Amino acid sequence: MIRSTHIPRRTFLRGLGTALALPALEAMLPARAVATGNAKFPTRMAFVYIPNGVIPEKWHVKGKGSDFQFSHILEPLKAHREDLLIFSGLAHTKARSNGDGAGDHARANATFLTGRQARKTAGADIRVGVSVDQLAAQKIGDKTRLPSLELSSDGRRMSGNCDSGYSCAYQFNLAWKSETTPLPPESDPRLVFERLFSNGKDRERNESRVRRERYKKSILDFVLEDAKALEKKLGYTDQRKLDEYLTSVRELEKRVTASGVSSAELPEGFKKPAGKPRDFGAHVRMMGDMMALAFQTDSTRIATYLLAHDGDNRSYPHLGVKGGHHSLSHHRNNSRNIADLTKINRFHCELFAHFLDRLKNIKEGDETLLDHSMIVYGGAIGDGNRHSHHDLPVVLAGKANGAIKTGRHATYPTETPMANLFLNMLDIMGAPRERMGDSTGQLKGLA
Amino acid sequence: MNAVDLAKMSFEKDILPILQENCFSCHGDGEAKGDLSLDGFKTANDVHRGYKIWEKIRKLVLANEMPPQKKKKRPDAKQRALLTDWTRQTLDTFYRTAPPDPGRVTVRRLNRAEYNNTIRDLMRVDFKPARDFPADDSGYGFDNIGDVLTMSPLLMEKYFAAAERIAAKAVAVPNADGRIVATPFQNFYFRYPAPPKLRRNAAEGFVRTFLARAYRRPVRAEEVRRLMLLAKQVVDDGASFEHGIRMAVVATLVSPHFLFRWEFDGAPKNPKAIRSLNEHELASRISFYIWNSIPDDALMELARRGQLRKNLPAQIRRMLRDAKAQSLVANFTGQWLQLRNLEMHQPDKRLFSAFNNELRADMRRETEMLFAHVMRENRSVVDLLDANYTFVNDRLANWYGLKKVKGGQFRIVSLKGTPRGGVLTHASVLTLTSDPNRTSPVKRGKYVLENILGTPPPPAPDNVPELESDAELKGTLRQQMVKHRENPVCASCHQKMDPIGFAFENFDAVGRWRTLDNGEPINAASQLDSGEKFRDATGLRKILAVRKRDLFVRCLTEKMLTFALGRGLEFYDKRAVDGIVKQMERDGFKFETLVMGIVKSLPFDMKRGEEGGK
Repeated sequence: MIRSTHIPRRTFLRGLGTALALPALEAMLPARAVATGNAKFPTRMAFVYIPNGVIPEKWHVKGKGSDFQFSHILEPLKAHREDLLIFSGLAHTKARSNGDGAGDHARANATFLTGRQARKTAGADIRVGVSVDQLAAQKIGDKTRLPSLELSSDGRRMSGNCDSGYSCAYQFNLAWKSETTPLPPESDPRLVFERLFSNGKDRERNESRVRRERYKKSILDFVLEDAKALEKKLGYTDQRKLDEYLTSVRELEKRVTASGVSSAELPEGFKKPAGKPRDFGAHVRMMGDMMALAFQTDSTRIATYLLAHDGDNRSYPHLGVKGGHHSLSHHRNNSRNIADLTKINRFHCELFAHFLDRLKNIKEGDETLLDHSMIVYGGAIGDGNRHSHHDLPVVLAGKANGAIKTGRHATYPTETPMANLFLNMLDIMGAPRERMGDSTGQLKGLA
Repeated sequence: MNAVDLAKMSFEKDILPILQENCFSCHGDGEAKGDLSLDGFKTANDVHRGYKIWEKIRKLVLANEMPPQKKKKRPDAKQRALLTDWTRQTLDTFYRTAPPDPGRVTVRRLNRAEYNNTIRDLMRVDFKPARDFPADDSGYGFDNIGDVLTMSPLLMEKYFAAAERIAAKAVAVPNADGRIVATPFQNFYFRYPAPPKLRRNAAEGFVRTFLARAYRRPVRAEEVRRLMLLAKQVVDDGASFEHGIRMAVVATLVSPHFLFRWEFDGAPKNPKAIRSLNEHELASRISFYIWNSIPDDALMELARRGQLRKNLPAQIRRMLRDAKAQSLVANFTGQWLQLRNLEMHQPDKRLFSAFNNELRADMRRETEMLFAHVMRENRSVVDLLDANYTFVNDRLANWYGLKKVKGGQFRIVSLKGTPRGGVLTHASVLTLTSDPNRTSPVKRGKYVLENILGTPPPPAPDNVPELESDAELKGTLRQQMVKHRENPVCASCHQKMDPIGFAFENFDAVGRWRTLDNGEPINAASQLDSGEKFRDATGLRKILAVRKRDLFVRCLTEKMLTFALGRGLEFYDKRAVDGIVKQMERDGFKFETLVMGIVKSLPFDMKRGEEGGK
């Protein structure tokens, strides 16, 4: 086999030659392009996943429109009443068996942001669909240093088989870059922080960093050539793996060339997290802080956060709850189990409230970061005991730069596809689509 | 129904009528609900050809999901059993007699464990750089499955950062005085201090040897030249020789040739093109199987001379006794026996205040040590189920109520006269199959069916009917469960799982011995769904190790073959599994026979092109 031996010499020399002469680049940071329309501040979008469904009677709010009363579970969000849009009637029917047998947890996770039926496989040929966050990232991801941010509280994977013959890839990832490529989430807040704010303060470190990034560019060119030379020598699936590699390298390369800046400037008053807190609540709050930081510094406008994977069996001893979450969720109408589950559901809402507090406390012009965001909080299982996938627990927080009318409870006909909401959101993000997943058209009356 | 009777059945006379009666209203006579039409199946041969569909049909009928519950016309239990048993036997016979097929392994990206080990062996630095990588997804129970190991921008970012850190650690650069404190890596490849004029040759020699190690194969002159050019430019621009080497190292460590384990085929898209692996590919497969790392010089040298296949037994024996095989122990038991799940398991602190992180580590250690013992001493794998010895330190001995063990050192001790023996009575397994606050006989039973016997129960049906009971349940857990099993829909599966779980009720949710549950005496006696009766865990253990031994050996073989290949097993692999199991039967189920059997098996030793573009 003969192939080009081109070495990207020019790129390389440019890198080395100018390494020491470059000015400090942080000064160029602010005033990035905004996402859409006339908004002064970009619109941000995030999704927070809660596992194992809820106790429906304790979740559902009473009253419609702006005249609603908080339910016991949602009560911790009371302070944010005017920023909330609480949904009833949304469904993910593609998370149902539809002939594929058991595996509701894996399907719930896989369907949540894709609206698609996950192919039932323990490994070969995993496939679901591109997730809503990635559809947005494809369109507007290049406006920020990171196209999107993927987070999870679950650093470790369960070993053994995951849910009923589904590969664990379905259960531990929310974001899917392509139908076959999930994006692995980061679970250590320290690592998230380092990704966001890796640059040092002093000039010398900055210079060596600039040089390093120039080296990086020439190495990336080098390995891209390696990879391209492999094309046409591979079978179908291997080719797909190579494509994943090529995409990843190119994305890294884009980051090096596009910005020249490896990270944002850290707002005052923040310290680098020491690592993953052992306490679950502290961990979740810290991950919320990281998302808020990423949005605040416009490092990204799109985030997904798996608060816990569906089927998670964490215990919540500090709530006085005995037993693991998943085991409890099959409560068999036992009043004690129901009470315990309600506590867990409510606790998750408290954690979410902390995240909203954060967004609300960050001023952007006359408004707050929350006013410029839309944060979806929910899961793809409704009633945890029945593993149902309709009547899903879904709340949206933030006015998305005025695109969403909040402070109300919106009811939609039973089994309205959740993907319809995603269509609205993509539109608001400046990445409109006719359809995605099992959508049938945008939700009416969101604005 | 037994095999002989099933063999007498015919599709046309015995099976087709059941289908016509119960399924055709939706899936026959031109109907094709859910895209399934049974019209095309007229003989057993048609069933063979449609084996994928029939595996699915069998599963759904077995799980009582098809025909749907709401249908008036449904097969009775006898018809269902006939349909599912016949399908199983027919397909199994077909699989065993189908033409040999080695299958195809999707290219495997190094997973975290493999990356760490590889860096340790290649770069002579040991700081587990993959610790900060995102967790690898798993499939078929393992995290080294090519199909599931994806690449993402985040991971690429981590690979790059890791490569830079590794290069900085492994290659020292001159300090202000121009002196170098050479690292083990540098001392291995270069002679320090080396006269400057030798540097160019030194660099070329380095690149050639280093690349071959990193890529696990001979490298082409062109590859050496390109990397030399990359390194040279750094030097030409005034940086030190060592900076150039660092540059070459970073580029190598992010190259697709390093990060993925390629096996290039002449005809990658022709499923009929079957070939033997070349010896470098074979060395790599063996090494990643047993060491989860790159081949060492001895393996590479044998492969270079084409002598590896001829020397397999000696090499395998050597590798299993090498300290690097500890990685097989940790990663295989961590996933097959799910020991990794212990890390996340949090027993209820108020109920089990004596449980702590030291014990958690001890528990895992015990099981790993038993496995390692069987591996290094080439013992029967049945010891894993039935060993009358184990490995404990003082803390774990105290947990078990064993006397005369002093000090934190682990040692081998006899379990004669105790209720323990084999991994199923290890505190590790007993704990990880429990809920945080109580034992779970269901989980324990399911664990044995899935991981020990290889006969997983069908998943719970979609809509489990609710048990109308809000009353506080009294009595032992077992008494409560028996009550729940009165529901026939649940009973069909739970009578397979629960009795196994009951046998271990004498061990609490953190693996300690107990005789009371909820204040009442524990009854661990039960009867397996297949008829065998036992009085307690020891009784069950004997049944598993003797009467169910073949199932266990087959299950272990399948799990380990999956781990070794990095892909899920397909029907055509049954032949290979049969062969390995047979060899093991002949020589007392020795561990080395299992490993040798795998390494010499068709799917491990050969491969073919891929079928169909999807």
